[in-house]
Amino acid sequence: MIEVKNLTKRYGTNVALDHVSFSVEEGSIVGFLGPNGAGKSTTMNIITGYLSAGEGEVTVAGHSILEEPAEVKKLIGYLPEIPPLYMDMTVREYLDFMYQLKKVTLPKEKHIREICALVKITEVYDRLVGNLSKGYKQRVGIAQALLGNPPVLILDEPTVGLDPKQIIEIRNLIKNLGKNHTVILSSHILSEVQAVCQRVLVINRGRIVADGTPDKLGHDLSTDHRLIIRVEGPEREILAGLKNVNNVTEVHSLGEKEPGVYEYAVEGPDGKDIRRDLFAFCSRNGAPLLAMRSTELTLEEVFLRLTNEEYAHPLRKKKRHEAKGGETA
Amino acid sequence: MRAILKRELRSYFLSPIGYVCVGAILFLFGLFYFTVMQTGSSYYIASVFATMFNWNMIIIPIITMRTFSEDRKNKTDQALITAPVSVTGIVWGKFLAALGVFFIAMTIGLLPAIVVGSFGDPSWGLVFGNYLGSLLYGAAMVSIGVFLSSLTESQVVAAIATFGVSVFLMVINSVTAGAGEFVVQLVSWISFSSRYMPFTQGIFSVSSVIFYVSVVVIFNFITARRLESRRWS
Repeated sequence: MIEVKNLTKRYGTNVALDHVSFSVEEGSIVGFLGPNGAGKSTTMNIITGYLSAGEGEVTVAGHSILEEPAEVKKLIGYLPEIPPLYMDMTVREYLDFMYQLKKVTLPKEKHIREICALVKITEVYDRLVGNLSKGYKQRVGIAQALLGNPPVLILDEPTVGLDPKQIIEIRNLIKNLGKNHTVILSSHILSEVQAVCQRVLVINRGRIVADGTPDKLGHDLSTDHRLIIRVEGPEREILAGLKNVNNVTEVHSLGEKEPGVYEYAVEGPDGKDIRRDLFAFCSRNGAPLLAMRSTELTLEEVFLRLTNEEYAHPLRKKKRHEAKGGETA
Repeated sequence: MRAILKRELRSYFLSPIGYVCVGAILFLFGLFYFTVMQTGSSYYIASVFATMFNWNMIIIPIITMRTFSEDRKNKTDQALITAPVSVTGIVWGKFLAALGVFFIAMTIGLLPAIVVGSFGDPSWGLVFGNYLGSLLYGAAMVSIGVFLSSLTESQVVAAIATFGVSVFLMVINSVTAGAGEFVVQLVSWISFSSRYMPFTQGIFSVSSVIFYVSVVVIFNFITARRLESRRWS
């Protein structure tokens, strides 16, 4: 549905986007994740035709944004970072205006009413946009994007400024919309992306540093297949015993966590499950195994790793290496 | 274009700007009609418009200052530019709305002349010549004002720049007094006031009409290019 190829955008000498490429299939919800200034909004502005890219191209449903801008713009409903609202109009007047501006042909009164009910702004329908609270303004912005029922929705931080209840409502709304729309949303709230998106693109400093489902990202990036176990019993004996367990390559103690209970980090070879071996060892020695968890990263840790320069370099190298391997294979 | 024209025109009269500008123009009209009446001759009615010319230089920048700068500041330009309308349509919509405000004021300003006309016999050629001349001058200044508004986020800067340009175009032919004949001719060719003169004498000058209309077309064209070029910055 959306094809982005080699987008590069420079502001003066500052490179905002550096050869960004990705594609989004029809009917999926994709989340853009990244710290402030990473290039999320720039990418969205280029897809919607507000900005032009220095290099690269964007096609939506086969139409190029440069060659057929009107066609592409008709297909996209866009909620920019700051909702484009006219403060001197009422919600009714504003939606009427946007309806005409977008040349929507659906039955006007009914269509606008439906959208208002969907984003729950019916009760402020006749109030001035300028007098609404931030949450309502945000929802009027979403309503505006939905006008004309465009097949592609691009939402730049759609839940900013909403209270927790509204956030859940809007997330559910986006999930529902995702069933018959293609949605791209940006966020720096990780739980949001995790809750709503089927796929996450992590952007940092104008590059895509990761791409995958939220779970896959967590799994892929925990490079070490390390387990943390908690065992009751004398530290030295158990440490020595653990070293002799089958397949265990490395063990070290993390110290006493409860009276008489020590925590150990145990590492096995790549792709080998050592949990059963550890359990067998503990039960054989009568040392109660009290806890076992993997160090698989949560999305939050993934994000920090990807966007933190210190971590990012080796990981990026690894990613690129993998990508290259994938291409040749 | 129509949606934008409608919205802009509405918004002029939702905020005080539209009323203030129309009110100011009508107040000045009233004042000058009153002065003319004291001469006791309906012949001088046409001179009301000539006097208004100077005041329009101040009021037009106030009408046009917000056209694009406000949109840019409030980020509402994102809605306009990402909508399936052409940039040219956006520019003409905004231009026509601003011109509409000026047109309303000037047309209401014609009413006293008509009232006076029912008691006497003013020279209608002169009156309508002046009226048409003011509208053409207004249209040209509005297009320049809209262009200058698209260059900045600040309404004040836009207004002052537009005012500066209109003063410049006004006085340009008096500063060339000592210069060579070619310069004098060239300057009077682009001077807004010398282009306006034929209308004050009741002459329908085709070349002046074409001049003003060209200014409008050219500046609206540049404004559209300017909006497009912003995408590349």
